[in-house]
Amino acid sequence: MHDFLEQNAMYLVLIIALVTWAGLFIYLFSIDRNLKKLEGAEHDK
Amino acid sequence: MNNIYKYSVFVLISLVLVGTFVVPIPTIPGLYDKARIIYLHVPLSWIAVVSFLLSMINSVQYLRKRDLIYDVRSHSAAEVGFLFTILATVTGALWAKFNWGTYWNWDPRQTSIFILLLIYGAYFALRSAIDNYEQKAKLASVYAIIAFVTVPFFIFIMPRIVESLHPADTIIDSQGKISMNPVMFTIFMFSLFSFTLLFFWILNIKIRLEKLKLQRIQKINN
Repeated sequence: MHDFLEQNAMYLVLIIALVTWAGLFIYLFSIDRNLKKLEGAEHDK
Repeated sequence: MNNIYKYSVFVLISLVLVGTFVVPIPTIPGLYDKARIIYLHVPLSWIAVVSFLLSMINSVQYLRKRDLIYDVRSHSAAEVGFLFTILATVTGALWAKFNWGTYWNWDPRQTSIFILLLIYGAYFALRSAIDNYEQKAKLASVYAIIAFVTVPFFIFIMPRIVESLHPADTIIDSQGKISMNPVMFTIFMFSLFSFTLLFFWILNIKIRLEKLKLQRIQKINN
């Protein structure tokens, strides 16, 4: 895997793009979960 | 924030990705296609600086006006900035493994970003340690202002006064002229712009969430 990525740098850039996207997605997912909790708490009142 | 803004962000980021992978770049000895990371990694670092600046400005506003909305904005900007700093660190480390041989080299930029993570990590620790909202906002605002004072030093000054493994003069040379290939420079600036718009969208969502939380706390207290 290491040798492959060393010889095909484009795939390394692809992994970097995917890591960036994954980080942003996880953050948005956590914000969404917090929002649902708040909405749930409002609804239970 | 209207839908045109959101659709524009989607289109712009898609174009950045197309530019990153499809548009040919000139041969850069020692880097080759690895140079394409500049379209993703540098905008992440740029946004970290912008968000910490916003956090500081809103902290100053809070201390002047004592309106909790500024604390909400400051805290939200710091949190989103922290996320982008982590992403810049991780993407940089991945690139370093294949360019410098190891994930972590204690290069001046790596050391600087690590210290920044510690400084802003302490900001969140401080916030979570105080229950009283007013007191939390006051202390966190003072801390955010002091924390930002270190940002220009760690991001712009230290990497330039200590020898670094990071490629030098990639965008602007020592005489202040643009040294980057014009096509690469166009995609790079486009990427900076697009990621900045994406950042403001994420920040907007985060602020709206924190406002709701604040309103809920204020309702309970009243």
